[in-house]
Amino acid sequence: MIEFQNVSKTYYLKGIEKVILDDVSFKFPKGRNVAILGHNGAGKSTMMRLLAGAELPDAGRIRRHVKVSWPLGFSGGFNGQMTGMENIRFVARMYGEDTERVIEFVQEFSELGESLTLPIQTYSSGMKARLAFGVSMAIDFRYYLIDEVTAVGDARFKRKCDEVFKQKLKRSNIVMISHSMGSIRQLCDMGCVLDKGKLYFHDDVEDAIAHHTKNQNA
Amino acid sequence: MENLLVTQTRVIGALVLRETRTTFGNSQLGYFWAIASPALGIAVLVGIFSMVGRVPPYGSSLALFFATGFLQFELYKKLSSSLMGVFDSTKGLLAYPLVTETDVVFARAALIIATYIFIMVIFFGTLIAVGLAEFPRHGDQVLMSIGATALLGTGAGMTNAVILRLWPTWKQIEGILNRPLFFISGIFYVPSHFPPSIKDILWWNPVLHCVEWIREGYYPHYQSTLLSKPYLFTVALILVLFGLGAERLYRKKRK
Repeated sequence: MIEFQNVSKTYYLKGIEKVILDDVSFKFPKGRNVAILGHNGAGKSTMMRLLAGAELPDAGRIRRHVKVSWPLGFSGGFNGQMTGMENIRFVARMYGEDTERVIEFVQEFSELGESLTLPIQTYSSGMKARLAFGVSMAIDFRYYLIDEVTAVGDARFKRKCDEVFKQKLKRSNIVMISHSMGSIRQLCDMGCVLDKGKLYFHDDVEDAIAHHTKNQNA
Repeated sequence: MENLLVTQTRVIGALVLRETRTTFGNSQLGYFWAIASPALGIAVLVGIFSMVGRVPPYGSSLALFFATGFLQFELYKKLSSSLMGVFDSTKGLLAYPLVTETDVVFARAALIIATYIFIMVIFFGTLIAVGLAEFPRHGDQVLMSIGATALLGTGAGMTNAVILRLWPTWKQIEGILNRPLFFISGIFYVPSHFPPSIKDILWWNPVLHCVEWIREGYYPHYQSTLLSKPYLFTVALILVLFGLGAERLYRKKRK
């Protein structure tokens, strides 16, 4: 269960005040896939970072009593000097997973082969993304956070990702930000619209999209 | 959901291994230098003092006398300077929902402390093996003095880290303020031999107390007229509490 209790978050940048969340309370319902919609700069990514605990609210509490992933595709936590293998080991250890199993899975999935024994700083961004995606798929999270699914690799690899992801969704749920209404319709069954610090909740993802579209055209 | 303590221990464990990997670089040579560089520092001190024909300020072994001072000083310095940059170097890690900033601080401190205990065991062990030193007379005092130094260094490092976050110039200022520390910490002299006017000033330096304490523990008859364990612990605890408190207070401001 993830729950926002009276959460407020404001940014101050050079004297300009920007309210991201203003006293928001919201409980993510069990077993639902949630889309977060909002115009550019509304604070969707900040909300994702709050969900992941990478940032803390100014006021209120965020309760996370389930295993939540880091924002998917994110590779910022990887250390450039360490090899792909060592980075995988670190994450696996941290989550108390069987290291060998995780390595095997990522090896199989990412198709990085020998490159796994090289330091990450030698990787291309596509290779990094494949590694990051592979690692997050190797661990069973209750919730996956997806911030704008980035194109990972070629079409064939993309299909592979979709397949694994579909398997995951049988037992896990997602919270997702995307500008592509297509992928939101495909993956989410409900939505929230973030607008001027308030979060509007819609039980049907179509209603949320309609609300969002209306905001865009207003 | 599993036990919080179990999770945190596991996370810190994983972080320690990661830190080990990043601190010591890509080769076995990294471990070697971690041990060799303080040893060389002591060797240089011993060399200079032997060349000018000085007798050890205390006891019969220059190497032992310098080692007791230098290793304590280095442990403190390493902690206070490495922890200072901790928030910068670990930003990416915070995106993992499991990791908090204090976890990273504790992991880094644990690695440094373990490394220095290892260095001390090797160094004192070697001195004992080649007959340049006896076994420590009061082992418990030696251990406690190392513990106090570790606490002081961790506190200073955390305090440095929070000040640095609020005021980036602190890195330079701290460097300047710490420069004379090597000379005022009793590394190559016996502070008790100084006249009271100088002793009264030196007394305020907590690192000096760390050095005096380990010598009282190591040598059978070393008696310090300066050592105040309560003072050392007070300073260390204030720094630790300040560091933890300020981190909590400013946690929300991090970017």
